[in-house]
Amino acid sequence: MSKTKIDRRNFLKVLGLGSAGAALAGCDMPSYVTSDEGKENIYSYLAPEEYVIPGIGVWYASTCQQCPASCGVHGRVREGRVLKLEGNPDASVNKGKICQMGQAAIQGHFHPERIENPLINGQKATWDEALALVAKKSGGAAWLTGAMSGHQRVLIDAHRTAGGNARHYAVEVVNARPWEDASLATLGDANPNLHIDKARAVLAVGADFLGTWGNPVKSMRDYGNFRSAPRGVLMSIEPAMSMTGANSDIWVTARPGSEAAVLMGVGHILTTKHGVSVADMPSAALAFADMTPTKVLGLSDVKEEQLAKIADTLMANSPSLILANANHDTAKVAQVLNMMLGNVGQTLTPSAAITAEALLPVTGSSKDLVEFAMDAKAGKISSVFISGTNPVFLAPSKLDMAGALAKVGFKVAIADFHDETTTACDVVLPASSALEAWGTHVPVDGSDAGEVYIQQPLMENVHANTRGLGDILLAVAKGAGVDGLAEFEDYYGYLRTAVSALIGSDLEGDWNSILQKGKAVTAVNHSNFNAGGDVALGFSEPAAKAGTLTLITSARQGLFDGRHANLPWLQEAPDQISKAVWDSWAEIHPKTAAKIGAKDGDYITITSANGSITTRVFIYKGIHQDAISVPMGRGHTNYGLYAKNGVNPLSLLDASSGDRQTTELLNSGVSVTVKPTGDNRHLVRLMDVDSQHGRKLAATITADQFDRNQGGA
Amino acid sequence: MPSLLGNVFKGWSDYSKGIEQGGNQKYEHMFSMSIDLDKCTGCNACSTACYAENNLAWVGEYKFASRQSMHWMRIERYFDEPDVGSSDPESLDRGASFLPMMCQQCNAAPCEPVCPVAATYHTVDALNAQVYNRCIGSRYCANNCPFRVRYFNFYDNAPTAWPAPMDQGLNPDLSVRSKGVMEKCTFCIQRIRGANETAKREGRELKDGDIVTACQQTCPTSAIVFGDLLDKTSEISKIWKRQQVKLGTYKQEKENKDLRGYRIFEELNIEPKVLYLERVREV
Repeated sequence: MSKTKIDRRNFLKVLGLGSAGAALAGCDMPSYVTSDEGKENIYSYLAPEEYVIPGIGVWYASTCQQCPASCGVHGRVREGRVLKLEGNPDASVNKGKICQMGQAAIQGHFHPERIENPLINGQKATWDEALALVAKKSGGAAWLTGAMSGHQRVLIDAHRTAGGNARHYAVEVVNARPWEDASLATLGDANPNLHIDKARAVLAVGADFLGTWGNPVKSMRDYGNFRSAPRGVLMSIEPAMSMTGANSDIWVTARPGSEAAVLMGVGHILTTKHGVSVADMPSAALAFADMTPTKVLGLSDVKEEQLAKIADTLMANSPSLILANANHDTAKVAQVLNMMLGNVGQTLTPSAAITAEALLPVTGSSKDLVEFAMDAKAGKISSVFISGTNPVFLAPSKLDMAGALAKVGFKVAIADFHDETTTACDVVLPASSALEAWGTHVPVDGSDAGEVYIQQPLMENVHANTRGLGDILLAVAKGAGVDGLAEFEDYYGYLRTAVSALIGSDLEGDWNSILQKGKAVTAVNHSNFNAGGDVALGFSEPAAKAGTLTLITSARQGLFDGRHANLPWLQEAPDQISKAVWDSWAEIHPKTAAKIGAKDGDYITITSANGSITTRVFIYKGIHQDAISVPMGRGHTNYGLYAKNGVNPLSLLDASSGDRQTTELLNSGVSVTVKPTGDNRHLVRLMDVDSQHGRKLAATITADQFDRNQGGA
Repeated sequence: MPSLLGNVFKGWSDYSKGIEQGGNQKYEHMFSMSIDLDKCTGCNACSTACYAENNLAWVGEYKFASRQSMHWMRIERYFDEPDVGSSDPESLDRGASFLPMMCQQCNAAPCEPVCPVAATYHTVDALNAQVYNRCIGSRYCANNCPFRVRYFNFYDNAPTAWPAPMDQGLNPDLSVRSKGVMEKCTFCIQRIRGANETAKREGRELKDGDIVTACQQTCPTSAIVFGDLLDKTSEISKIWKRQQVKLGTYKQEKENKDLRGYRIFEELNIEPKVLYLERVREV
């Protein structure tokens, strides 16, 4: 029992019990809940609604929609407002954790620049007018969305099927497409289940799993275990340092576009020095034999001892895991190495997917962005719904997305914020924030948990005239005459029925427990790997010659692909690498800086065949001398007050058509020339120093010392 | 009755006890944190969670440039590694070093005795508290803090940081600070209070795990541990013990030199209560 004593709070409470000072009891928990003396007859507030206890936050489960990973969250609701998000411990993807983007969802929810009313040609309209116009003009419409899963996907598919089966383009510039394609080609499984926590060594090649690749929160959780004793070794090969690179034990910088060659060089050393067998893959064996360390050095500037160190570490720490997303060639080499090293079946296991295939995620790619632009220009798209993506911002200027959209007869945006795309649309339907809407989401993690995450509203709409994405999809589908939807008044009713069918029970208790846990658990299909065949490995030499600069558009957790540029918390969260805030910068190597005559804070103009951007330099050694990296996310032209600064490096990229190998924009790179403008202004960042100046701030010990004491804590 | 002068004298007395007797005051709790730098990826989840939990104002580029930002928890990033060295002068051999830095809740806090109005003092929970209503904005405390983790409200940031309806998302459990006062990490005092009162209501003692700070809660790699050092069974006590780090000294004498626990600037005899675990790297 707690000690009985009179402190100020208790004194006031006692005072309140005996007099008219009831309001004073409001200094503590409302006394009708209970009080120390067991008296329960004082009400400090007007009688609230049932289940609302003034001053006490109640946590409700929902699903985060800040990136395609779909983490389960708990939202703290107090007096009818959602105040804070935390990870849902019952969600097996993120187990109680979320990232900074998830934390900032609250800011988007209460954002002053939300779209509040339906718009027709920019003019305020009613929902009835807008929906009637949409029903009239959107026959056979295509869909252009971000990654999409769950019952929202079901409704979109139903709408497309009813209207002539127009295409669903899913656009995510930050994606795992090279890895997915390579995994499918080599293992027969696009989305193998990764066990970073079970690996003793991880080699990441352009797969920034601690930043933006796959499900970062799940990866970071696994990484925490990976670093516990026995401690795993993390290695990275990349042109410019990513979040994963920034946490690596061994970081190797390679010329942009040469990643596949470097990885083949590792394969060369594994086969020659360590005698790892590739007998059953003659083409791969040939490719490895051909990629001698001398050749690798010429292509990538990676030295033989660096290759050997990586190969030695992989051999000494089994099982390992090689993750690559730099491009398709590299990802294929990575999977071959995983097979050679016996990682398949250990750290890479076959995926499982829920049996309800209609709910499975449509993962996005840049390829869909490019193909949408080409199809639109060719006049193949008469009308389109756009939701959850901003093609005008994401598309390289060469694609002329604005021009392509102009060729589409009727465009409907379903959006919560105005951006470069909504202004090009005929009708804008105002969506609720993700914290106000119903939905279901299936995470892309390959695990066999069979979880379908439930997104439930955490509070009433901030803006009364907005509607949840699901409700809008339902109304649109009904308007297009999709069968079997007439009985559902709203998306909640639809979802309630659909989820009941999914779990085979429509009991109130089961539904409540689903809402409580934030997930429905359903049956899964296990797949099998279909590995063992020969794999042809290719490497195409990058067009840029040594000594010329290649622009890399890095993705960072934070502003992501630019969708979070309107959130001040994320604008002001210093970039993990440069520590810059509120503006763009270009990372270059000190030698490159000397060559072009730029010093810290100088503005430079970066020019590719497709245009130019001007931004300030950030000089550091974590980048290859032939690379210049401008993180994506800034450079909006119409995304509100908080997203005005910076430049958009995506606009400079070369979006070549057709060839799947090169269509992915994320790590594609483009040849650029760079010239200082002569202007200089200090780049605003958290810290201007890179050195601890000998003080014991962030101290480091060697892995040997760590092994001697088995990790301490 | 406490008077202003009384408060000041009590603060000085507590401070000298902290320094001379190793912080041996009559604490009810002694809250402490440990951060495993080998698990920290520098991702910013903790610092953004802090913005959401503690009503931190964002200030924009101009004020940020003038060092007027309000991030109670910041992630410092270093590229040099004085302990393991670097071999390649032209490239980095390893990643960066990340250091989450917030108020270290020193038991002999240098910020406390310099406050002319005793607005910052040591609580019975061994926390370095800031009384906003008492603060007159002399900024002596920030000047005296070796960690630079005190943040001064040079402006009334609220109107720009929370334009309607953003103000609806403010945490009602703590105040929005106005112009002229100092603020800093409180170890989520509102959560400590909340957990205390829940325990009291349920008629039990506070137990380990009742209090979870916002940064600890969200940390994706679980690098942060928080708890009461006076509770010998708590996780945090076990970590301090296992790391052979002791309070009441400015120079640790560990039996096992390989253990990773250390306190930043403990040589200043300020008794920081945040234990960092050294980052580990292959060499």
